[in-house]
Amino acid sequence: MIRGAIAIFKRDFKKFLSNPFVVIMTLLMPVMYLVIFGNAMGGTISHIPIGAVQEVPPYNDTPLFTNAVIALNHITQKDYPKLLDVTVYTDETAAKRDLSKGLIAAVVVFPSEVSNDHAVRLYVDSSNSIVPALVESAVRGVLAALGANNPVLVSKIYGDIKYLQFFGVGVIMMAIFTSTMFGGGIALIKDRENGIHEGYLVTPVQRTSIIAGIISSGTVRAFIAGFMIFLIDILITGIIIQSVQDFLLVILVIFIACVGVTSLVVSFASRFSAQQEYASVVAFLNLILFMTSGAFYPVIGMPDWLRWITVINPEYYGVDALRSIILRGQGLDVIGIDLIALMVFSGAMIILGIATYRRTLE
Amino acid sequence: MEPLQKDRNTDHPTQDDAGIRGYTPHVPGTGGCVTGSGESIISIDHLTKIFREKNRTVTAVNDITLEVKRGEIFGLLGPNGAGKSTLIRILTTLLRPTSGTACVNTYDITKAPEKIRTIIGVCPQNSTLDVELTAYDNLEFYGQLVNVDERALDARIWQLLKMAELADRAHMKVQTFSGGMRRKLEIVRAFIHHPLILFLDEPTIGLDPEARREVWQQISKLNEEKTTIILTTHYMDEAEKLCNRIAFVDKGGLIALDNLENLKRLIPAGDLIEIGFEKMSEDVLSAIRENTLINSVEVKADHLHISAKNGSKVLPAIVAIFEKFSIPMTSISIRSPSLEDVFIYLTGKKLDEGGNQEPKPARGGRPS
Repeated sequence: MIRGAIAIFKRDFKKFLSNPFVVIMTLLMPVMYLVIFGNAMGGTISHIPIGAVQEVPPYNDTPLFTNAVIALNHITQKDYPKLLDVTVYTDETAAKRDLSKGLIAAVVVFPSEVSNDHAVRLYVDSSNSIVPALVESAVRGVLAALGANNPVLVSKIYGDIKYLQFFGVGVIMMAIFTSTMFGGGIALIKDRENGIHEGYLVTPVQRTSIIAGIISSGTVRAFIAGFMIFLIDILITGIIIQSVQDFLLVILVIFIACVGVTSLVVSFASRFSAQQEYASVVAFLNLILFMTSGAFYPVIGMPDWLRWITVINPEYYGVDALRSIILRGQGLDVIGIDLIALMVFSGAMIILGIATYRRTLE
Repeated sequence: MEPLQKDRNTDHPTQDDAGIRGYTPHVPGTGGCVTGSGESIISIDHLTKIFREKNRTVTAVNDITLEVKRGEIFGLLGPNGAGKSTLIRILTTLLRPTSGTACVNTYDITKAPEKIRTIIGVCPQNSTLDVELTAYDNLEFYGQLVNVDERALDARIWQLLKMAELADRAHMKVQTFSGGMRRKLEIVRAFIHHPLILFLDEPTIGLDPEARREVWQQISKLNEEKTTIILTTHYMDEAEKLCNRIAFVDKGGLIALDNLENLKRLIPAGDLIEIGFEKMSEDVLSAIRENTLINSVEVKADHLHISAKNGSKVLPAIVAIFEKFSIPMTSISIRSPSLEDVFIYLTGKKLDEGGNQEPKPARGGRPS
């Protein structure tokens, strides 16, 4: 009995060692978890852009306003960058417009004088988790420090958004990613292992057709997964889609995100011949892309080096676009940039996939 | 087996002489292939394929030059690892040759691989059927890949299914099929677009005798439709049964190429006679050796191995000698040399002994 167990142990271990790539990935995974997960989730939020406006009249800055702006701009915790980046607006309407476009996270409107019947109005982008609470406590802290006993009126411009709703939108992207990575990608490599691709290669079918076929089938599968999660989100988290137009926009974003993620997977899955190697790379990619997508935690809380990853992360644009539509009811004018980024990404990945798909066995 | 072994340096036909009859090299410098017009459909010219791995190089195909005629069944016969599959993979555009050229119909394999893919049908050694699809779906899928007219496709699929005697299983998943059924399905699939040339890489490997016979029948049937068939095998009987011409390949090189009759003539010894006995006397041996038709006599334990130009004529005389000396015979057998004997004679080893291992590229290749 012992002999059999030892034989199996030896065989497994030999196979483990014979694949250095998988060994390295196995060791690297926990380290990456520590670095990326730790930084993405536990990072200190800083440089929150907010706007500050002085109520009119009077038409010149009051001491309260000037002092409050300076104080807000200099809130820091020991050893950390400052919490808020304050932009002074002269016009409340302009400030609110930037807030609704997502350029700033909050607008604080100061009254003309220190008194307990003139309220400080605070408008926050409530589609963001954590940030509104930070801004609110900062404003209250500054007023207390200045000895101003004005009450603070907080308006959540998108209403009360629960973390579940914030996170639920991110899960749509996760569904797209996992269904593509673990469904489509593995199926692609299995086909390769079973020689289905070798069968393609001796037929006149073009490399472009092979990639187009694989990507389109993968896109449809991913779309079904993403759409199902979207429907489940509506049922479970209680998000409300305001109009038919929003609904169609959500579908458009999910679709384009599916093309992007599927192209990414196909472009590199077609280079792998073994499931094990692929699986370790996928786990790694899933970690990086999902953690930096902002699905869990606001991107603003990430260190700069990690934030650079979001720039090339299709999931970030997907999550951002979906949140804009679902949580903020924003339209094409705001999510246009996300859609363009997703499309550029998809295009690049499709070209990469076609270019790297080998037409011969070598 | 000593008598079969002659001086291999003089009698051993190499690819330089006896092997390649009727070979006309295509004109260098024209860039194209002149094969298409003649009776040859494939011409291979000094083709070499070298696989380089980390610290060793393996010459899988070594300077092979040969021609395949239009409409014939051409056999590539050799032990495992002789380079047969590599040669097939080069001709089917799956691998690029290291040096040399090859023309398939009028196309150069390195210059017009797309054109070649439209006129060939390939049935690789390892199955490429999708076992999770039905027989019908497999054929339909492949038919669309090779551009069979959509209107004619359904009829063609049923025709092929009937040919493979699988019509009653058309809508069953391939994973429920036996090895022989899968093989037949794969062979007809390769034939769906009426290719000019059909490549079959070890079509009956791992099949039981019954299934092999069925596959052979199918191959003969396909050949009746004027398709050139190139098959690789390491089974003698398969090559003997099916092939018009046979190329012996060993260690990547071409050893001989001819039809069955001519290949058998390469052995100078002729027929083999085996006589069993209980005891032997020197008188018998010397009497037999006196017969001028007999090439060699050899005693092996309780058997006498005699090789003679015309076995059936010599046999009565031999029997008479045994009777004359009152030596009882326990058995008599006479046979003409088999393809295997020819192969042993040419290479000094048995076919299924295998030789160098052929480095098979991992399926689909690995990222490198």
